[in-house]
Amino acid sequence: MPLPLYYFLAITAINILMSWALYLPYRVAHLHFLTVANMAISGYLSGWLVQGLGVSFWAALPLGFAAGGLIGWVISLFIGEAPTFTVVIVGFTFIYITRTVIENTKAVGATMGMFGLPLVAGSPALHRWTILALLYSLVLVVGFLIHRFEHSRLGRAASAVFVDKDLATSFGVDIAKLGRLLQVFSSTVAGGCGVIYGFLYRSFHLDFFTFHLVGLFMTIIFVGGYATMWGVVVAAPALYGLTLLFPPEVASWRIVIYGAILVAVLVLKPEGFVTRRLVLNLERLLSSQRKKIQ
Amino acid sequence: MRKNWFVLLAVLLVLVAFVFTGCQRQGAAKKVKVKVQQWEIPFLNSLTGPIASIGEFLHWGAERAAKEINEAGGISGKPVKVIGVDTALDPQKGVVEMGKIVQTALVALGPVPEPVIMAAMPIAVENEMMSFTATTSLEYAEKFFPWSISWFPKTEDRLPPLVTAWAELNPEMKSVVQFVGNYGPWPGMVAAHKVGLEKLSLKALNNVEVPADAVTFGPLVVKALEQKPDGIIIACWPEKAAKLVQELKSRGWKNMGRILLFSSADDASLYSTGGASLNGAIIYNYINVDVDTPRWNAFKEAYAADHNGMQPPSLSTNYYDAVYMIKEAMEKTGVTGDPKKLKEERKKIAAYVADVKNFQGLLFNWDMAGGVPTNKPTYLFEIQDGMKKLVKEIRE
Repeated sequence: MPLPLYYFLAITAINILMSWALYLPYRVAHLHFLTVANMAISGYLSGWLVQGLGVSFWAALPLGFAAGGLIGWVISLFIGEAPTFTVVIVGFTFIYITRTVIENTKAVGATMGMFGLPLVAGSPALHRWTILALLYSLVLVVGFLIHRFEHSRLGRAASAVFVDKDLATSFGVDIAKLGRLLQVFSSTVAGGCGVIYGFLYRSFHLDFFTFHLVGLFMTIIFVGGYATMWGVVVAAPALYGLTLLFPPEVASWRIVIYGAILVAVLVLKPEGFVTRRLVLNLERLLSSQRKKIQ
Repeated sequence: MRKNWFVLLAVLLVLVAFVFTGCQRQGAAKKVKVKVQQWEIPFLNSLTGPIASIGEFLHWGAERAAKEINEAGGISGKPVKVIGVDTALDPQKGVVEMGKIVQTALVALGPVPEPVIMAAMPIAVENEMMSFTATTSLEYAEKFFPWSISWFPKTEDRLPPLVTAWAELNPEMKSVVQFVGNYGPWPGMVAAHKVGLEKLSLKALNNVEVPADAVTFGPLVVKALEQKPDGIIIACWPEKAAKLVQELKSRGWKNMGRILLFSSADDASLYSTGGASLNGAIIYNYINVDVDTPRWNAFKEAYAADHNGMQPPSLSTNYYDAVYMIKEAMEKTGVTGDPKKLKEERKKIAAYVADVKNFQGLLFNWDMAGGVPTNKPTYLFEIQDGMKKLVKEIRE
């Protein structure tokens, strides 16, 4: 497989998963930026396990997921039902704390970063196929789980919380429990993504996990559509691919183009390109059962 | 008897002629049949984004070298073109672009800076292609040897003599505090400064960390001055370094010669922010802008013409020299550009530059040994009205 295609596919998968990790708590109006910190913590942890302790990647990966989930769970005990603004502040603070801890931890390379992470499979080609298989399996599993969630009572409860928390509470929705569930799930996914992200680059540097990622994932969610999981699937490859296709003369205008797209979408299509109505119509079109019901 | 002497003389003459022509051949470029119409050197650079201004002058230097080389007949008779590839300081973009470059390029410039180097260089290593990471320290570059070379000697060898030389200018100085920004190799540089101080039995006080997002500097300066230092070393972002100096002066710091700024602070934003408040402070760096050679003067003039009269920044010569080093490597090793020989010719270039001797750089000549420069000079300057005045050259 050509290298540019491999990196495009792999990074697109990471962006989809991480945007979903932000999207899911946003279903209950939580902008959970803790996920970027989770990515860094689990990534560096796995790097240290593999390089420092000689643990295999396949053991470090589940530990990365677990570390993400554990941190997400502990934090969710405090912000599971917090207002949006509080969740945002906690997320940003955690990114700062994580950076500071890593900067001062020699075992993970401190400010220099970690170099020369080993291949996850025998040869470079096998390594690439393994990373891709792993990532797209994750996309399928996580996508399936989110799809099931959206079509469940919990998904409908989340929609009610998004619109009006008090109303949702009066319907018997346990807001704190729902918030915690979504935060832990998204932190777990982010933890696993952090591990794979590092092994994709075969190195870790603190600047892999900056606020730039927050901006990228937010753009993917809001341009794609924040009301359904499918917006992310469309916007992640489109927005990432767009930057790669820009000719050099246009590349310097990239930020302006991004900004213009975002403003245009927020003004003209506030729900993003892929709206809930669009998804419902497509589902109706594709489902023979629904036709019968109609 | 006389006949024997004639024979001996003839044999000697033949030997001398043989040795002489042999030496000439070794030093000259190999005559080869070049298979390309134009040499293309991709430069993986940050042309947009937070360090676009640095990326611009790095690219300018590389293009300037290409222009000069083309005017003088090109590389092995063919013109060379530097192709800027923008990563916008984004590792996600850097890896895809490096993935494209390694498919066809003989050699590349960049990536810039460290986060993109760390993400993209493993691809160059895997594909056995030399890429010049000429802005980073040895501690980063050496991880990718032999497919990269370091532009700088080892930090712990290079910096202590500089700091010792600065301390010797201030014999009454007894204790020094360092301001440090936690970024990439900077903490390592601060540790090397300490070694230089300890050589003269100076006391290195507790470092004061400068956060990347610091906007007020009063508390940091108070924290430093509380330790009652006689000298200050500032190792952080240029704009913040200027603000620290201003804050120090506003709190009564008088002896400007006892302030030492590190090389990464030597950027336009240091002088535009600091202005006259920097007068008298000492800064160390690796190029001396006061060198008076036709080649350097032409470079300086061209740079000033393209940059509103500004002096070339310290890193502006790195990729200029890198392009010339590539030219020398290609010509001396007989690189043809034949796609069938891509792997072999990449190796030739890498092997040549790792141990090039007496390379004629823009400002000075130097040798490489195992990918590391062995005899590059460093300089101490005094800042006066935004200009640097040479105080001392240090050559190990």
